[in-house]
Parts: sequence; structure tokens; C-alpha cells
Amino acid sequence: MHERAAPPRPLARADVALRRVGSEWVLFDAARERAHVLNQAAAAVWAFCDGTRDPGEIALAIAGSVTSPEPGAIARDVEDAVRRFAAEGLLQ
Amino acid sequence: MSIAPHVLEFSCDDEEAGRALSALYHAAPETDLPPTLRYSLSGTGGRYVARSPSRPPFGPTSLEEAWAFVEWRAIEDVLNDPGPDAVFVHAAGVRVGGRLLLLVGPSGSGKTTLAAALLSRGHPVLGDDVLRFAPTTGEYSAFPRSFKLDDNTLTVLELWRGSSLDEVPGTFLALGCLYVSPVALCHAWLAEPGRPWGVVVLDPGRREGAARLESFSEGQAAVRVVQSMLGASTGPGAGARVNAGLGLVESVAQARAFRVGGLGVLATADLVEEAARS
Repeated sequence: MHERAAPPRPLARADVALRRVGSEWVLFDAARERAHVLNQAAAAVWAFCDGTRDPGEIALAIAGSVTSPEPGAIARDVEDAVRRFAAEGLLQ
Repeated sequence: MSIAPHVLEFSCDDEEAGRALSALYHAAPETDLPPTLRYSLSGTGGRYVARSPSRPPFGPTSLEEAWAFVEWRAIEDVLNDPGPDAVFVHAAGVRVGGRLLLLVGPSGSGKTTLAAALLSRGHPVLGDDVLRFAPTTGEYSAFPRSFKLDDNTLTVLELWRGSSLDEVPGTFLALGCLYVSPVALCHAWLAEPGRPWGVVVLDPGRREGAARLESFSEGQAAVRVVQSMLGASTGPGAGARVNAGLGLVESVAQARAFRVGGLGVLATADLVEEAARS
């Protein structure tokens, strides 16, 4: 199955809200009345989906706030997260 | 009777239909305010016609089926117009040791049975199947509809052994279920509204082995609560839904999350009591 590339400069939809719930994060999509659970790393990626950064720049921005067991893992995780956001219709 | 923001009026022309209608919202407070929604059952020779504000008349048919039509219309009309600052959610609410627990799960997952078990032990409830949620306050409050209990639940909970159900006020047998007023399970049935201390998730697919109550993902519990929102996404109540979903997430942001597994409602009720008192 062909996997879509992550959007070049992902921009979060304005009507999707991020809230902390316990130790996790939840994105609420008001238009579709759906909620999505994020871990801390994905929540950090979401916070940088402001339309000005590509996934590589997002990975650099969050590198200080997430731990990673191997080089390149953060970049891959960011790509995965952004692809998921796009697939769920959470980006503009 | 008052099911805020509405005032429901039920009318009929015989005693048997009257007893049936009284079982539907038996625990709801009465009011002198003018009705906003009117429902009726009228019968001749054991056949009844049911009338509601939103649909053409139904019948003539049996009392059971006519009553079921009224039951469904009455709840549908209220759910689709919850008022300016409210939505309804498909959940049960119980206060155990003063702490409010939301029980969430799909139909058939055991919310009503567990709520009935806890209520029959003296823990007040907000409801077994539908609750009212106010986004501006983040609080859940009662929706005083009667419980729907099946034979198995009555047996397991050992309710009214040796009694004739006809003697229990607020009960009506329809379509294989006994509709039971919460007052009949516990006189002091009504819980105070509030924010939940805990969310208990019930999944039908986890009924194996001994009863257990496990810690659960708080985020996943919040998703389940959002998924429980009821009513139409268009129409008079639609505007409130946009804020309501976020309000639902925020209402459980500090709540503990649990998931029920295994069999045995009485053992599960024991575990819930223990968790709420910890």
C-alpha cells in the first residue's frame, strides 16, 4: 500500500483543540465530534504544526523535550505523527 | 413532569395505560409549568393508539408496542433539544462514598446492571443510561428515566423475591424488559450533580474470568466519554454540541480511569465500592 508523504508544512486546523487528560493528551475535533489520544511526543509535534515548519524543523524543535533511543527516531516519529494527523483530517 | 428544559405531559384514558405511562419517568419531579411535549395513549378493546408531538399516530396496536412508541419518542424529542447549555450523554452516573463515577460503554455492556446493583446498595445515581451534561459548569446531572432490567438482572440482584411486580410502583413489563423506577430500587435514589471523580469503562468483549477493575488510560476514557454524546448534530441542540465535546474532555481531565473486566456484577460492584473509597 502506498504511504502518503507527510504534508510539507503541516498546519493544525483551528477548530481542533488539545487538552491534557491525566498523563496523556487528547485532541478534540469539534467538526467531527471525535477525540484522539496522543502521547507526550505526539502532543509536542502537534504544538509545532503551525504551517511554518517542515517535519525536519519540527523534529529539531522538539528534540530537546523528548527522549529518543536512537538517532533519526525523532524524525521518523514526527513524520509518522504528521501523517496520522493528515489521515485523520486534523490538518488544514 | 419536568425533564429540563422540557415539561412532558403523558395522558391516557384507562388504568392499565396509566400504569404503563407512569413507569416511564416515574422518578421525575412533577411541575405546574405548562407542558412543552405531550404524549398520549388511547385504547379501545385492548388496542391502543399512541400519539407524540413529532410523529404521526402509531396504532392501533398492543399496549406494549404503543407504550414502546411513546417511550422512544419521549426520549428522542428530549435528546434532540437539550436546551441552550446542555447535551445528553449515553452513560450512567453513580455516587459511591460521595464520589461521582461515570459508567461508560456501548449498549449491552452492563451499565444499567452495575448501576442498579450499586443503587440497590444505597449508592445514589444520576441515571443508568442517559445523563445531562452542562458544558459551562462541567457538571453532570440526573436524567430521571426508569431503568430497563431483564430477568437475569432481577435474579442476580435478588430484587423483589417473592413479591408480585404489580405491587412495585413505577414498574411496567414491556417487550421483555421490566421498566423500573429508581425510586423502587432505593427511596433516596437521586445523586447530587457534579464533576466525576472517576470514569469506569465497560467493554462487552472483556467478559472472561473473575471480575476485575483495572487502571485504564485516562485519554482513552476521555475519548469514550466524548463518543457517548447523544442527540442530533443538526437542529435546535446542535450549537451546544460544538463546545460540549471539549467540555466533556475537560470534565474528566482530572478523573481517574478504570476498566471493568470479567464476570459477576456483584463482585464488580464490590470492586467499584473499594476503588471509590480508596
